[in-house]
Amino acid sequence: MTDDTASAQAMTDEWYPVGLISQLDKTGRQTALMGEPIVVAHDADGQALVTGHNGRRLPVKLRYGHVWSSLGTPKKDIFAIPEADQPGRRFVDVGVVRVRCSPLRAVENFLDIAHFPFVHTDVLGAEPHTEVLNYTAEIRPDVDEVWATEVKFYQPQASKSASGGITTEYMYRVPAPTCSVLYKTCPPRPTEWDVITLFVQPLAEDLCDVWPWMALFDDETAMTDLIHFQQMIFLQDRSILENQVPRLLPLDPGMEIPTRADLTSIAYRRWLKRHNYTYGAQLVAR
Amino acid sequence: MVMVQDKTDEIQQRMTILGELDIASFLPWIHRHAAKLGLGQTVAHADDARIELDLRGPEALIDMMEIGCLLGPIDVWVETIARAPCNAQFPNAKTTV
Repeated sequence: MTDDTASAQAMTDEWYPVGLISQLDKTGRQTALMGEPIVVAHDADGQALVTGHNGRRLPVKLRYGHVWSSLGTPKKDIFAIPEADQPGRRFVDVGVVRVRCSPLRAVENFLDIAHFPFVHTDVLGAEPHTEVLNYTAEIRPDVDEVWATEVKFYQPQASKSASGGITTEYMYRVPAPTCSVLYKTCPPRPTEWDVITLFVQPLAEDLCDVWPWMALFDDETAMTDLIHFQQMIFLQDRSILENQVPRLLPLDPGMEIPTRADLTSIAYRRWLKRHNYTYGAQLVAR
Repeated sequence: MVMVQDKTDEIQQRMTILGELDIASFLPWIHRHAAKLGLGQTVAHADDARIELDLRGPEALIDMMEIGCLLGPIDVWVETIARAPCNAQFPNAKTTV
């Protein structure tokens, strides 16, 4: 197998979100996965069905409110999110945001806290609280995931349920090339973490559908408000993501000057490079 | 107007880079990145498993050099980077992600 083939195959064999379970219907959703047109539907028995080019049946799993599929043969199950089985949480299907950017760029943006005061002004950040304090980022060999811990940032409105500014603690996790899980201070329950995920469906190398999903402890906020809050955040990100140059995610930082605040991004890019996860990546700085 | 650079905040550190290093690709990359940051640079040792790089400049910029080198060019895999005052035998800091 050539390096190029190995590189393409590495991401082909992963699971990706392709739609919401709650929106499955007989007609089907016409969409794409890594350039291949697919249809996501349910059959006469109500079973989820994903069909690829020339009617090829693709693998299907239902998890975390979403339908997952793959163009290849996944060697692992979809990553676990233990909080998805925890009683008392509300599960929020946020819906979909289409973004004209690399799927890897969408994940990298999710991992970045330095942009909060400038893009999510007076919500997830505010001047003059712009400093990113030192935190830990690593590739954990036992689970083969990227983790960033002890991430702390002042936020004027950390969530829909927050009533004022607080210093929020974050943990980030990247268990799959286009998926990230954020654990965030839970204002109503300080001993628990709110879970906000970013599941990204790669439509093409420079186009993706972003499917956020949440598992929260919040019995008061209306579901519509929770969805609107999160959609507002992702729409703010979209305008930034669609104007990034280059459009693909550089795996060589030769044209950039990364700093210690970018350590999660660097760990993510190192992990992508190590696994040949290069669909949506730019390999040589230009 | 003549700008005079203040050198009082400059330090000298040796950066030890370990990994699977293709020095034919990595050394020119290091040279460009250090030049972009305005750092003084001397390669004290280089083979495909270890590079010893002496750097001179403000600590914050040497830190940026370390973060950039952690990723490096596509054909290089950096395992760890250690930094120490120049000529010190044992490093005082180590970064791996």
